[in-house]
Amino acid sequence: MEIRIEHLNKEFPSRDKDGAPTKAVSDLDLVIKDGELMGLLGPSGCGKSTTLYMIAGLKDPTSGFIYFDEDDVTHLDPEKRGIGLVFQNYALYPHMTVYKNVEFPLTNLVIEEEQKAHDVAYEDTLQEVLLQQDALVACLEKRKGKRGNDTAIEELIRVFHITPSLAKEIATRIKKSEEGYAKSIEELLSLSKERKANSLKNWQDKGFVVDDHYVLLRDGKSTTVHRRLTKDERDTLVRETAKLVQIEDYLGRKPSELSGGQQQRVAIARALVKRPRVLLLDEPLSNLDARLRIQTREEIRRVQQATKITTVFVTHDQEEAMSICDRICVMENGEERQIGKPQDIYRNPNCIFVAKFLGTPPINVFRGIIKDGFLYLGEEPVLETPKALENQEVFVGIRPEGFLPLPKKKDLVFTLSVQEVVTQGRDTTLVFSSPLCEQEQGKAIIDSDIEIESGSHRFGIKPTKIYLFDKETGKRIPL
Amino acid sequence: MDKKNQWKAWLYLAPVLILMAIFTFYPIISTLVASFLKDYNNVTGENSGFTLYNYQYVLGLAERYEGSGVFYREFFSLNPADHSAFWNTMFITFVTVPISVVLSLLIAILIHSLKPFKKFFQTVFFMPYVTNVIAVGMVFSLLFSQFGIWNRLFGLSTAWLADNAATWESAMFVLCLYVIWSALPYKILIFLSGLEGIDRQYYEAAKIDGAGRLKTTWKVTVPLLSPQILYITVTSFIGAFKEYSSVVGLLGRSYTSDSLNNDMYTAVYWIYDQMKKDSWNTQSQFADAAAMILLAVIFLFTLIELWVSKKKVVYR
Repeated sequence: MEIRIEHLNKEFPSRDKDGAPTKAVSDLDLVIKDGELMGLLGPSGCGKSTTLYMIAGLKDPTSGFIYFDEDDVTHLDPEKRGIGLVFQNYALYPHMTVYKNVEFPLTNLVIEEEQKAHDVAYEDTLQEVLLQQDALVACLEKRKGKRGNDTAIEELIRVFHITPSLAKEIATRIKKSEEGYAKSIEELLSLSKERKANSLKNWQDKGFVVDDHYVLLRDGKSTTVHRRLTKDERDTLVRETAKLVQIEDYLGRKPSELSGGQQQRVAIARALVKRPRVLLLDEPLSNLDARLRIQTREEIRRVQQATKITTVFVTHDQEEAMSICDRICVMENGEERQIGKPQDIYRNPNCIFVAKFLGTPPINVFRGIIKDGFLYLGEEPVLETPKALENQEVFVGIRPEGFLPLPKKKDLVFTLSVQEVVTQGRDTTLVFSSPLCEQEQGKAIIDSDIEIESGSHRFGIKPTKIYLFDKETGKRIPL
Repeated sequence: MDKKNQWKAWLYLAPVLILMAIFTFYPIISTLVASFLKDYNNVTGENSGFTLYNYQYVLGLAERYEGSGVFYREFFSLNPADHSAFWNTMFITFVTVPISVVLSLLIAILIHSLKPFKKFFQTVFFMPYVTNVIAVGMVFSLLFSQFGIWNRLFGLSTAWLADNAATWESAMFVLCLYVIWSALPYKILIFLSGLEGIDRQYYEAAKIDGAGRLKTTWKVTVPLLSPQILYITVTSFIGAFKEYSSVVGLLGRSYTSDSLNNDMYTAVYWIYDQMKKDSWNTQSQFADAAAMILLAVIFLFTLIELWVSKKKVVYR
């Protein structure tokens, strides 16, 4: 489902009586395509979480519109939006088991469906299972020990994807005799056939016809009913979702008995179990340690790909956003700065804020001057600029990987004093300082095969890794 | 902690330990000892040796051998309808504690859900806590006097508390009402602070999950408040078992209509009267025995509560 945000504003009243209200989000336009994983990225206080909560319906926009496909949901209650939300600290109910936590949203769900003959469907499924004798016997053979019957029931659910009550009936009714299981299975089969015939007759007496999909038809028409999910249906959904995020083994535990990563999976399962139209994630990885973070973000990506659910992911960590999002929206002070594919934004930042925010180590910013068709850093001309550009002072951003350590003779060069050389595996990081640099220390990354020592060095600059920004507005100056 | 520093820890604990030894442990032990001594004189320490008679007497299993001429009601009688001190205490406890805990929980949840007037109601409900028990008792006895507001409000002429006219039922009704009312503020305060401590995200999660208000209260709020509920329940039970000042505040006496009947005794009231029955009284062995029984009952109930809570209480 597509999410469309138009001119969205959120203001919080000022603490002082006469103070101007704080603008958390201002005039945000955003389209999140169906099945897309969209990242909202920005420093804290940039309005990304507020935007998420407005999409969720937990915060009410001051003005503007939010559409889910064609439905205007701007002021709709959260529970009516069909969303799943994963909170930063998971907000798992500590008193409920993992199973109960995941089941909780389902207990509130009211579904709308055509009235069906569930009793007939039950018998058909039962007969189908009974006919697969080999697999069935294999499950029932697990019936050993004290809790043997429960083990067999779990096995039946797992193998045949049937409801607990159906599995229970099979496990209790089918007994092993001297000749094996065949006789008992035969008995249950005939019992089921008998019950099905009775059910069909029963519906017929009431004036219904049961069609191929068990829909009850009266005079050729079906009726729509509203109802809550049965325990069996809830169980099936909980188990399916638990399997998706791989928490089946922890269903009986309390959240406090799980690791952070496992809790996160439970939170995702709880958000996904009711098959929401939209999945919202609020800084879902910030409480995890570095290794788990990478593992879990890949997990989120996998689940998102598997379900193809439209997902909005809020984070302040650019690496996180870059690694899993289809597209990201960089925000600052409640305003959208740039939207696009992560790599496109990285390659083509449209303003100095975006350029600084994306990339580790961050981009190096220098004060430069454009004079007579050349960009000067200090006294050195480092780049030829289009003739159309006026002479002016500019900010110059150079990505760490944009420095060429072995410039050719005819290249324009930039001299830097390298203070420290740090080699880590395939890359060498050069730490330099320059009076022209906005940061105290700049960083350049070069191939570790190139031997370099600290001291003054001349570098060439890759033209694709250097960006010019307007000194006043911070906007990108195209080259 | 390493052994070298242990003496330091004991040193820091010493002031409290010494005070507790003098004012808590010694009295408990000496009470326990005295409760097993015959004709124990609590001034001189003289006694006629070990006996179980004190307990037998307190539990109504033996006749009193000295004919003092004053009728002292038994601490315990098998028949609850006798309104003995023990059964009165039980009655007060099991009526007032559940009602006041549930009521204060509901009020706390209501106050918590208010946005405006929250502070105001918090103050209103906390007022009784800072008001003197005896003063409140006097106000209650005025409210429930023959021509008091209660009777006028409901068009009654019941003598709720009046000497020679009140019944056990009427007096107990007012007493329970009074105990519940004065027990509310502290409980509300504790529950409110507990509610403040529940992360708002649980409610947001419940909202997203589509749970209604009632369901959220029952399935989310109450379980998350279980540590406070346990604490309040345990302390309320202990407090109710020791109920005494409320009877004095409300009635100023231990009976409803017949001064020999003593049908409004509570356990502590009985113990107090045993100690103070005559100004020259030096014998406290019956009070000692009753105090030990009360201690045992409180201990037992607290254990039961803690045992029950083990499964139900969730610490965040």
